[in-house]
Amino acid sequence: MSTEHTASAPAAPPWRLALGHSYRRGRKFLWFLLLNILPLYLASDLLVASGALAKVSGFLAPVMGLWGLPPEAAAVLVAGMLVNLYAATAVAAPLALSWQQISVLGLILGIAHSLVMEAVVVRQLTPRYHALTLLRIVLGLAAGWLLALALC
Amino acid sequence: MLGQLIAMLPGAALKGLVLCAELALVVLPLIVGYEMAKAYGVFERPWSRLRPALAFIGLGPGALVPLLAGVFLGLLYGAGILVSVSREQGLASSERLALAVFLVTCHAVVEDTAIFVLLGGSAFWILAPRLVLALGLTTWLARRGKGRKPLTGEDNGHA
Repeated sequence: MSTEHTASAPAAPPWRLALGHSYRRGRKFLWFLLLNILPLYLASDLLVASGALAKVSGFLAPVMGLWGLPPEAAAVLVAGMLVNLYAATAVAAPLALSWQQISVLGLILGIAHSLVMEAVVVRQLTPRYHALTLLRIVLGLAAGWLLALALC
Repeated sequence: MLGQLIAMLPGAALKGLVLCAELALVVLPLIVGYEMAKAYGVFERPWSRLRPALAFIGLGPGALVPLLAGVFLGLLYGAGILVSVSREQGLASSERLALAVFLVTCHAVVEDTAIFVLLGGSAFWILAPRLVLALGLTTWLARRGKGRKPLTGEDNGHA
């Protein structure tokens, strides 16, 4: 019986490596939820319940009305576009939104989210990443507007 | 007012934890699925039947792996495969632009859609318009100003 593990030791099967990677990624994701998403949800819930968010965003009502959304949903768009979709969820959850409104938000943000972080990746593909980021915002808002017209 | 808000905290914390648990239940299985797909090279198969469709949107066979990685893994998670393979394959700049246009409109389709379905949104209305826009924009881009017939499957897509 050999006690030596040399280069001839068989490599771990792919599924085992995959599980190891998943475990590390999953753990990181859980910490992200607890340290970032939970506090953001709490803040959003308190701001919604206290009426502070409605007060601050009230002036946006005519604009957000174009997408059939309450003015508070502007905060969801900002969180999704600047941070990521999980942040958008945390802000959106305390708002009482209909399935149509969530679908509109999902479509806008599905096209235009994590704009800063993802522009870094897009830049590796094409030097026109500024134009593409603008395209995402315009396309997302336009698609969301059409969907709001269709659903509401 | 402040007292009321403090009294609300435990309830809000509980609801927040439920949201986090729901997100975890959706995303953790996806992570395992993605890692398995990566480990077994699902995104690196030739998938030759997709070639004519790729050519139609202005992409050569070399763009397939980055496209699949982006569409399923997403721009951030798939960035490793996306960027390194695009370099290795020496994609033409028109191909890289088409790839970027497709992917900024439509990527991480499973995860992004699932998050909003969790909140109560419609999977169809969130995903279908993105796919249609991505296909439409790249198809238009591939034909713009070229004044020539659409690329066929035999054509490798390089101008």
